[in-house]
Amino acid sequence: MLSIINSDNRWIKYVTVCLGLLLGAIAWEIFGLNSNPAFMAPLIGNDEHPGAAVRLISNFSDQEFVESLIGSARLFITGFTIALIIAVPFGILLARLNWLRVALDTYILMLYVTPMVALIPFVLAMMGFDFWPKVVVVFLFSFFPVLYNTLEGARSVKPELLEVAHSFRSNEIALWTDVLVPYTLPYALTGIRQATGRALVGMIAAEFFLSTSGLGKEIMISSRTFDMAGVLATIILITIIGVLMMRLAQALEQHFSSWRGLER
Amino acid sequence: MIVEIFKKHQMPRLRFLNLDLCAKIIAGIMILVIWQIGVALFAANFVAKPLSIIGVFPDVITDEVFIEATAATLSAVIKGLFIALIAGTIVGVAMGRVKFFDRLLNLYINGFYTMPMVAALPLLTIWFGYESNARLATIVFAAFFSIAMSARDGARAVPPEYLEVCSAYRAKPYHIWFDITVFSSLPYLIAGFRLAAGRALVGAVIAEFFISLDGLGMYILSHTRSFQHNEAVVGVLMLIAFGLTFESTMNWVMRRYFPWYRREGRGA
Repeated sequence: MLSIINSDNRWIKYVTVCLGLLLGAIAWEIFGLNSNPAFMAPLIGNDEHPGAAVRLISNFSDQEFVESLIGSARLFITGFTIALIIAVPFGILLARLNWLRVALDTYILMLYVTPMVALIPFVLAMMGFDFWPKVVVVFLFSFFPVLYNTLEGARSVKPELLEVAHSFRSNEIALWTDVLVPYTLPYALTGIRQATGRALVGMIAAEFFLSTSGLGKEIMISSRTFDMAGVLATIILITIIGVLMMRLAQALEQHFSSWRGLER
Repeated sequence: MIVEIFKKHQMPRLRFLNLDLCAKIIAGIMILVIWQIGVALFAANFVAKPLSIIGVFPDVITDEVFIEATAATLSAVIKGLFIALIAGTIVGVAMGRVKFFDRLLNLYINGFYTMPMVAALPLLTIWFGYESNARLATIVFAAFFSIAMSARDGARAVPPEYLEVCSAYRAKPYHIWFDITVFSSLPYLIAGFRLAAGRALVGAVIAEFFISLDGLGMYILSHTRSFQHNEAVVGVLMLIAFGLTFESTMNWVMRRYFPWYRREGRGA
């Protein structure tokens, strides 16, 4: 019996995964139907207990919700892109300038371990309630993972390769495109994968603690009115977005991981 | 002769180290000077400056409110991490060793791991109330899934040869679990635990912001709100110090007790 359940047969795999999903859904449904609607909402639900999944689908025809979604996406993309544009070239520059890397890496590590949420009140006090302070928060959340990991890659660039490039009188552009970028890119992608998760946290935190807007506002309003279906629907949506972005980043990372050259 | 060898081998390394250290110190001083001058010239008067931070540092460190806040946050983080470590290891190792559990739970663990815990905060406050239980729940929630995931990866990474040798010598399950599996998955566990500690600290601070609970996060929030940024920065420095101390303690533990895992432990 045990060997059948644990076997690698394709069908048994599918059945167990589906069983897991089904069991979770049923447990959620039963728990939701039997508890106070202000405390927990079921997945599908009925008139008395509105369901989260139903709410999630109907949200997409709600003009206001779609606008929040677009607002959140705008915030995320702006902050994340600015972080990438600055962090990756800077990390590669540190691979080129060894003395600068030695001088700065302790401080970069320090900022990397800083819980960036703790800086949100400072951003609020210094910059106020606009769109750009929130971009700064997303930027802070995603900048240091990317920089730290690119730096890790910069540390691993073999000095021999640079020496060979120099002895063949390679110019600066060729040095960057043929040695530095291929060497640090896989590490930068690891950082980018970490940063997508953190930037999502930063996005929601900024929308909670600075001026409320976007998906954060949707969660806030629903939770203040004890509309559990609304809260759960938004959380599910954010989780789905997060998982999709994580998968994309992982696929990218795997695609370039052979460039690390550790296996050979 | 011994002195000669010592000189020969030790001197270049020492000098090299000092050069690095010099560069670091110079860079640090430059950052602080730029910060001081930049804020003095361009920013409002209340914004924190290095010299004023140094000025208020002794007062804040000896302040009873600050000590209590630090103790509250750190004890909650340690308690939460402890709970998450035990539960996460059990779930993770079970998933790694038994394929059935893995297929059943992997989707959930991955999903909850990716889910930003801030988003769940309103939910947790409704479930656990506006008190320290909600903070503990946030910490456990933040830490549990990364520990479970890495414990799972660790338990799957046990070299099959070891298990074969075990079964060839008819080892008891007890020995397979505690002498082989736990030790093979240790580097993964430590990597996951590090990640979890960072997330737990973030979770604690966010929870304190959200539910106005006494702790370091609240200390920072209330002081920035009353424009005492210098005091608030000391709170942030405390958080950084906790992160760095944890990191270096982990490194030390790895080097001292598991020297054979140094490379994997750092790389993972």
